Amino acid sequence: MKYRRSMAYPLWLENLLLKLLREDYSDEIIGDMAETFYWRSEHMSVRKARNLYILEAIKSMKPSNLKPFYHYSLNTMIFRNHIKIAIKSLFNRKSISLLNLLGLTFGTLAFMIISLYSAQILSFDNFFEGKDRVFLAYKERITPDGTQAAYDTWLPMSARLRTEYTQVQAATSHFVGSASVIQGSQYIAEEINYTENEFFDIFSFPLDQRIAAHPLPKQNAIVLSQEMAEKYFPDQSPMGEELRLYMAGNDTTIVYEVSGVLAAYPENISIRPQFIAQISSLPFYTEQANEWDGSFLETFVRLQEIGQQQSLEAAFPDLVEAIWDRETRENTNFRLLPFNDYYDTFLGNKSSARILLIIGIATLLIAAINFMNLSTAQASQRSKEIGVRKVLGALRGQLSTQFFVESILLALVACGLAVILTILIIPYFNAFFDVSISIGLFSYLQIAGFLLTLLISLGVVSGSYPALYLSSMNTIDAIQKKTKFKGALGLRNGMVIMQFVIALFLITSALIIRNQISFMTTRSMGFEGEEIFVIESSLSSFADREEGLNKMTAFKNELRNKSYISAISSSRHVPTAWSGSHVFVRPQGWEGDPLRMRYTFMDEHFFPTYDIPFKVGRNFNPTEGEAERGVVILNEAAAKAFEFNLDEENAIMIGNQRIPVVGVVEDFNFESLQNEVAPTLMFNRRSSHPAHARISIKMEMSELPTKIEELEGLWSTLGATSPFTGSFMNNRVEDLYQEERRYLGLVTMFSTLAIVIACIGIYGLTLFLIERRRKEISIRKVLGAESKRILQLIVQDFARWVVVGFVISIPVVVYMMQDWLNSFHYRIDFSAITFIMAFGIVLLLVTLTVGYESLKASLTNPVKHLKDE
Amino acid sequence: MNLQLGFLEELILIILLMKNETNAVEVVKEYETQFDQTITLPTIHVVLKRLEKKGLVRSFMGEPTAERGGRRKRLYKASHSGYEAAQYLHAKRNTMWQSILKPE
Repeated sequence: MKYRRSMAYPLWLENLLLKLLREDYSDEIIGDMAETFYWRSEHMSVRKARNLYILEAIKSMKPSNLKPFYHYSLNTMIFRNHIKIAIKSLFNRKSISLLNLLGLTFGTLAFMIISLYSAQILSFDNFFEGKDRVFLAYKERITPDGTQAAYDTWLPMSARLRTEYTQVQAATSHFVGSASVIQGSQYIAEEINYTENEFFDIFSFPLDQRIAAHPLPKQNAIVLSQEMAEKYFPDQSPMGEELRLYMAGNDTTIVYEVSGVLAAYPENISIRPQFIAQISSLPFYTEQANEWDGSFLETFVRLQEIGQQQSLEAAFPDLVEAIWDRETRENTNFRLLPFNDYYDTFLGNKSSARILLIIGIATLLIAAINFMNLSTAQASQRSKEIGVRKVLGALRGQLSTQFFVESILLALVACGLAVILTILIIPYFNAFFDVSISIGLFSYLQIAGFLLTLLISLGVVSGSYPALYLSSMNTIDAIQKKTKFKGALGLRNGMVIMQFVIALFLITSALIIRNQISFMTTRSMGFEGEEIFVIESSLSSFADREEGLNKMTAFKNELRNKSYISAISSSRHVPTAWSGSHVFVRPQGWEGDPLRMRYTFMDEHFFPTYDIPFKVGRNFNPTEGEAERGVVILNEAAAKAFEFNLDEENAIMIGNQRIPVVGVVEDFNFESLQNEVAPTLMFNRRSSHPAHARISIKMEMSELPTKIEELEGLWSTLGATSPFTGSFMNNRVEDLYQEERRYLGLVTMFSTLAIVIACIGIYGLTLFLIERRRKEISIRKVLGAESKRILQLIVQDFARWVVVGFVISIPVVVYMMQDWLNSFHYRIDFSAITFIMAFGIVLLLVTLTVGYESLKASLTNPVKHLKDE
Repeated sequence: MNLQLGFLEELILIILLMKNETNAVEVVKEYETQFDQTITLPTIHVVLKRLEKKGLVRSFMGEPTAERGGRRKRLYKASHSGYEAAQYLHAKRNTMWQSILKPE
């Protein structure tokens, strides 16, 4: 038979099989395959036959067909011997091995927990597929002083973007509103995410159950989260069931039909819906659908391709002009915020996570350096062993493998311990810091790969010095312990200094964060919050609005009768609870563009209750009917923004309405000190007005539990749907800095851990240094040196390293912490005291760590160490 | 009679019984012509090894031929117990078929 060349199967595959397959099988398999190939290529295409051949070759390479593994592996005997010797030598030097193991375990542990935590934040929103193409459309006001972003947009915006631009693949409006789920006679307040049809095209929430192809097949459909499905429909399928939502704002009840249940979603996403319904199901929708005056929701778009946002933004000015007019085009623009920046813009701060990650890496680095230092130190004491092994004919490669095996073995044990500890500690860590990290964030394969890399690199790096240097020593030098550690000394000093730099950096950073937080909590916010208790009293807590108003007034009258309450005020917002409402406003006589300014409502008791002083002017005067007619009080920031002369009569214009300014109060903070006091308009509303949502009372701070119980009792007689919620202003202020406090806790904890690890290392190094200088110390003592002098001899080296580390650490700290501090408007400056304190702490720790062993060394009888020659 | 025979095992056993002495290639050919469906050699090899282990099939090395690049082939032959096993299954199946009801 003749075969054409093109009819051949891949020869290289045959050769490979020939190499790999067991000899007693190879003839049969390879021969059969060749024969089958030719037979097949006669009645099917050659390509198909060849593909089948390749498939068969791959399938034939299963382990039982291959040559026994030991033909390829190293000689396992030597390897086993290495492990035996490694274990033996680790046990021989128990104290150092233990120090080494502890340091490495803690270092790895800290690193793993920090990585999990930071990864959770740094991978925020990665859950959503194709999120690079998702943008938040927002408006930007162009003022002479620059631009001002506002993220609230209009109801018709999404439809307009969808129809106007081909680049837009999908668009949706989105806002979170509150409503009460009616269950029997109960009204349970929940948050509802109101969206449009295309929401699911933009945010890839997978569904567990659905009744139709589209998650929201009709106007009154509602999708539940898994949690809510279990809460409201326990032990039954919610699909197709009725869910009645009561909207307090419009006093209407809407009946929804459950059309889907979301699959469980991770913690680290920005949009965490419990209920998803369509905006079009709301009663106001039909009349508002095409209105461009009220902006209250977010508009998300998904583009066809990445990189189209520039062309889209370039087209926006024309859209603005088409919607409004040429004048608006001059002062307003639409922009796109990448969804990737959503977390940083609204929710948190990825740079904190980055700093933590650096701390984690630093901790691991300290541990690795320790490990290296101690292994090196320890190995140099083993030069006699090395010498003997060399005499007996050990090859250099064998000796270095020996050291690598030892260090990898130690790293293996440390990593194993660290993994176990991590799994044990995570629940406590979560509870303590009120976070929710889980190993589930990664696949097991990722974790295993990561650990393996970590382990091998740790083992190889830390084992490399003894392995490569010691094994190259001259045999006779080795036996006589004539080890010269010139190069090693420089390297080691460098590494110890680096440890000190890291330790100083961590301590200084923790101190700076602590100072910033105590600065923020102790700095006056411009009002007196000492005796203030705030009660949440929104009208939405009542099923019936009229009745609620009456009851609330009665409640307030009751409060007024209490002898321990000295002042009482109703207001829409209180300090620490701000939700932005904005209005466009011009000072009277100003022709320029209006300013976008925040506003709030309060009764006339607000300023006295909070002890907010007036700069000029007077408080509201409700007897004159000002609450209805409208006067305004500004804060200083607003007066400055309007460029008002405080000695004159001023007035502002909202649209065509002129509102006189009756007073200007000194600036006080509605929000955390992270933000500057924003210009704010304050309007008067009677205490009984429905706009108010909170009652602030000033009370005597004694026998608090009974008083609060009494208040709670009063509230419970009102028949409100929500329970009594009240809190002291001081606690509320503290709560503002929860995030920072948690951050401080994390930084402190991991810094402490890092420093403990560093101390372990330094202790080990001291042991080694003393060991090496035993003879020198003894001779000095014989020659008459005092113990003090000898102590100084040892400690001074370390002190020098700390000083060098201190000098290097200063710029590092300034560089790293500048960013973090800049995120606060009211911030502290770097102070010399902080740096010196950190220096003092490290110096003290080092002295204590080094001191004990050094003292012991300087007090021993010199004869003990001189007689062995 | 304890018979743990998979479908493919039984089928290949029957193919072997159809022939005198044969190698895996012939089995592939027979299978592919009978069922008009491709099957890969390693699958056959595995089944043959399994049958051999169960004592239903015996094998020995044959002579090298040019078609297979001068390699020797392993020839398989069904043993007597192989024949019995296949026949037993066949008979059992026949009896069972007699009481089969045709679905509507």
